[in-house]
Amino acid sequence: MVQLRPRASRAPASAEAMVDEGQPASEEEEAEHGLLLGQPSSGAAAEPLEEDEEGDDEFDDEAPEELTFASAQAEAREEERRVRETVRRDKTLLKEKRKRREELFIEQKKRKLLPDTILEKLTTASQTNVKKLPGKVKEVNLEKKNEDCEKGNESKKVKVQKVQSVSQNKSYLAVRLKDQDLKDSRQQAAQAFIHNSLYGPGTNRTTVNKFLSLANKRLPVKKAAVQFLNNAWGIQKKQNAKRFKRRWMVRKMKTKK
Amino acid sequence: MPPARGLTCNGGRRARRRAANGRQPNLPPPSPPPRALPAHFRLCARSTSGAEPESARARGAGAERGERREGERAVTGMGEFKVHRVRFFNYVPSGIRCVAYNNQSNRLAVSRTDGTVEVYNLSANYFQEKFFPGHESRATEALCWAEGQRLFSAGLNGEIMEYDLQALNIKYAVDAFGGPIWSMAASPSGSQLLVGCEDGSVKLFQITPDKIQFERNFDRQKSRILSLSWHPSGTHIAAGSIDYISVFDVKSGSAVHKMIVDRQHMGVSKRKCIVWGVAFLSDGTVISVDSAGKVQFWDSATGTLVKSHLIANADVQSIAVAEQEDSFVVGTAEGTVFHFQLVPVTSNSSEKQWVRTKPFQHHTHDVRTVAHSPTALISGGTDTHLVIRPLMEKVEVKNYDAALRKITFPHRRLISCSKKRQLLLFQFAHHLELWRLGSTVATGKNGDTLPLSKNADHLLHLKTKGPENIICSCISPCGSWIAYSTVSRFFLYRLNYEHDNISLKRVSKMPPFLRCALQILFSEDSTKLFVASNQGALHIVQLSGGSFKHLHVFQPQSGTVEAMCLLAVSSDGNWLAASGTSAGVHVYNVKQLKLHCTVPAYNFPVTAMAIAPNTNNLVIAHSDQQVFEYSIPDKQYTDWSRTVQKQGFHHLWLQRDTPITHISFHPKRPMHILLHDAYMFCIIDKSLPLPNDKTLLYNPFPPTNESDVVRRRTAHAFKISKIYKPLLFMDLLDEGTLVAVERPLDDIIAQLPPPIKKKKFGT
Repeated sequence: MVQLRPRASRAPASAEAMVDEGQPASEEEEAEHGLLLGQPSSGAAAEPLEEDEEGDDEFDDEAPEELTFASAQAEAREEERRVRETVRRDKTLLKEKRKRREELFIEQKKRKLLPDTILEKLTTASQTNVKKLPGKVKEVNLEKKNEDCEKGNESKKVKVQKVQSVSQNKSYLAVRLKDQDLKDSRQQAAQAFIHNSLYGPGTNRTTVNKFLSLANKRLPVKKAAVQFLNNAWGIQKKQNAKRFKRRWMVRKMKTKK
Repeated sequence: MPPARGLTCNGGRRARRRAANGRQPNLPPPSPPPRALPAHFRLCARSTSGAEPESARARGAGAERGERREGERAVTGMGEFKVHRVRFFNYVPSGIRCVAYNNQSNRLAVSRTDGTVEVYNLSANYFQEKFFPGHESRATEALCWAEGQRLFSAGLNGEIMEYDLQALNIKYAVDAFGGPIWSMAASPSGSQLLVGCEDGSVKLFQITPDKIQFERNFDRQKSRILSLSWHPSGTHIAAGSIDYISVFDVKSGSAVHKMIVDRQHMGVSKRKCIVWGVAFLSDGTVISVDSAGKVQFWDSATGTLVKSHLIANADVQSIAVAEQEDSFVVGTAEGTVFHFQLVPVTSNSSEKQWVRTKPFQHHTHDVRTVAHSPTALISGGTDTHLVIRPLMEKVEVKNYDAALRKITFPHRRLISCSKKRQLLLFQFAHHLELWRLGSTVATGKNGDTLPLSKNADHLLHLKTKGPENIICSCISPCGSWIAYSTVSRFFLYRLNYEHDNISLKRVSKMPPFLRCALQILFSEDSTKLFVASNQGALHIVQLSGGSFKHLHVFQPQSGTVEAMCLLAVSSDGNWLAASGTSAGVHVYNVKQLKLHCTVPAYNFPVTAMAIAPNTNNLVIAHSDQQVFEYSIPDKQYTDWSRTVQKQGFHHLWLQRDTPITHISFHPKRPMHILLHDAYMFCIIDKSLPLPNDKTLLYNPFPPTNESDVVRRRTAHAFKISKIYKPLLFMDLLDEGTLVAVERPLDDIIAQLPPPIKKKKFGT
């Protein structure tokens, strides 16, 4: 049971207060129960007590503000509900925004793709035309294709899905680029692995110049390195000098005459 | 004592190729002796022209190395010539990536980093008889022979390709669907093929008579499978990966053992240990070579390490085991090749152990591949040399054939020349360059270097479309047509010259049957174009103005398809000679468009052919250094040729190791034949007596103070000059001018990738 704090007795209004206090008592019990249940209403439970105290001091001037626990609880619940509602509203707003964005993207993508009619033609044509490729090569404009097509007629046709266009006025070829990209990236990764393991960090490599000059260094009469001069140094300067010399010669010839 | 030592200064010796005249005017005097060869192979080069370089001008800046050295006067005993020494052909061969030796036919397949695959016939004096042009996207990583002389390769583009050795094209390419393929091995029976892929899977393929068929996958491993090896019985395989080796059981496809490889020999290292090669012996030993420089022996029954040898500071990149399993060879990244042999522990005991016996340092860069033939060790790597080292104990007859062979320069002609306009066409892998030779007005004595009045001009840089390599190219003698061919297309261009300017126009709509041509040749008057395709057919195309017309096609004689490799046309345009790989040389009558005769077949392949201008004698050079002269109108060998065959060539002539790649003639002197190989050029005078084995083959100048009698006695028909070497091309431009295209080895080495650092005491 709860230990109630000793209260100063209230005077005239005490009769009403008695009636009301009966309720707070029960409400405090409820609050205690609430505390046991773990409701975070210690503040709410504390409030009516404090207010009662304040009310005790000033009860002459004003009527004490009776803030029951229930009302406070209700208020708190209201607050929570309001917060939840705002959050829900925000979420729905965001969702809508996202939906709209996605639709926009889909539309943009659609605009980028070929018109539906041609795609339909291609997909229907692919099922029938794969075998007829060698014969139909000459119909299509050779200049549009690169070497891969002609090679593809002999070998490696399995992976690259080539489709002939049926329309007469247009001449193009649809190739699945996904396959090519994957192969290239894997091949590049493999080559990078080899390069790293042979020439990468941690390997003990040196330049060809240094390697060949080792012998020169150990001769009884020491000689310079094999590639002693760097011919690529100052190319621009040398070219400018040559041009200047030519112009100067021409000028000299002119003044002489 | 190795036989090589006995043969010294006289003529045609291999390995004497020192660029004794490394004449860059700004660089210090001649380069040091060979880096890669042991001391007893060194020789002082005897050069007759001791002229100091004077007005040689360094050409271009940056990448365009090479200088234009003009007009030396050379006297070869055959008259005086002005010589254009050309060094601006920036030819850099691509590095060797894989080598595969076939025991039955004694052939070696070599694949390079640009995708080219070459087949060398080791019994025909190591001549390159076939080649498959490369492709940019094809990065071959493995090459192997299967049963029935079938050649397969696999690369980083994920495909397994089979090569057709008769038609010289690729039969088909099968995608393995495992990502880039790193390794491939054929089963000991030759009927199955195993590939190791990037995603860690090992795939088994069945070889059917016309294709290969996917059978199944083995257990997938965590990292890429970099090396594979079958057990000789075909029941197990060893797969080397990163940081571990797995042993699989072929029947079930599951991994039986997983052996973890140390990252460093008795130490800790941060870099992953890549197992570059594995070999499975029949007693269950697995030999592995890895990037830490170790050769390790594992027991596959228990999955444990038996022995570990640390042999290098850098990666050991390749391993090859002999068939008898008593020796194997490994190649390191430092360029050293080690030979391991199974030797008895003591002289009486039956117990044997593996001992590292011989180191060979013939390479300067990484040795990425090795092969072991019954009598020789073969190695190739990034420094582009193919080195074949016969093992002394395995060679029966210890003659000249047992010496080291180093194949550096191509066995085909990459340069064509237009004599009228003094143009040279250089063929690279993906482009062509057209140069005009410089000119000089000065005169001088023998051996002088003449100053240029007009520099050599780089007229044209023609890039090919597409990723394929150029197979062959040619420029017409008048200089107005250029033709080249790739695997899928044939290109013909018309050139117009007006006042030092040049304009190019492509002839479009070339017929598709002209593609994949192995040899292109223009007739002397530039009206006809002869194309030898790889199907065995020979096409004649008429050229006129800016267009062409297909005249005729000569189909191969028998039913078999045989690629025609070399062509020669007579200067009057009547006769066309074509040589295949096995049949004799066919001579066709161009005017009547029919076969005239066939030169009897010889068991060595033809390396060069030419038809003499007035006498219409066909001169053929074979890979065993035999030279025949066949008279086309008479349909028989000439008398001179019969005399030579009866007497035989000088033994030093026969012991040259590079093939003759070009033959030409003097317009005014019908008795002279001019031919060259990589290290010498020779003018054969048919009127002079032939040398026998006792005379000196290489006698540059008879001494002038001796009497005429002595001079006449020592003079013989073969006038050899070794002034200009290494020669890629040599031709007679007109009566008094020669052009010699040289490619010094130093210039090639200077453009190779970086080698491993070597620390030498005192530097």
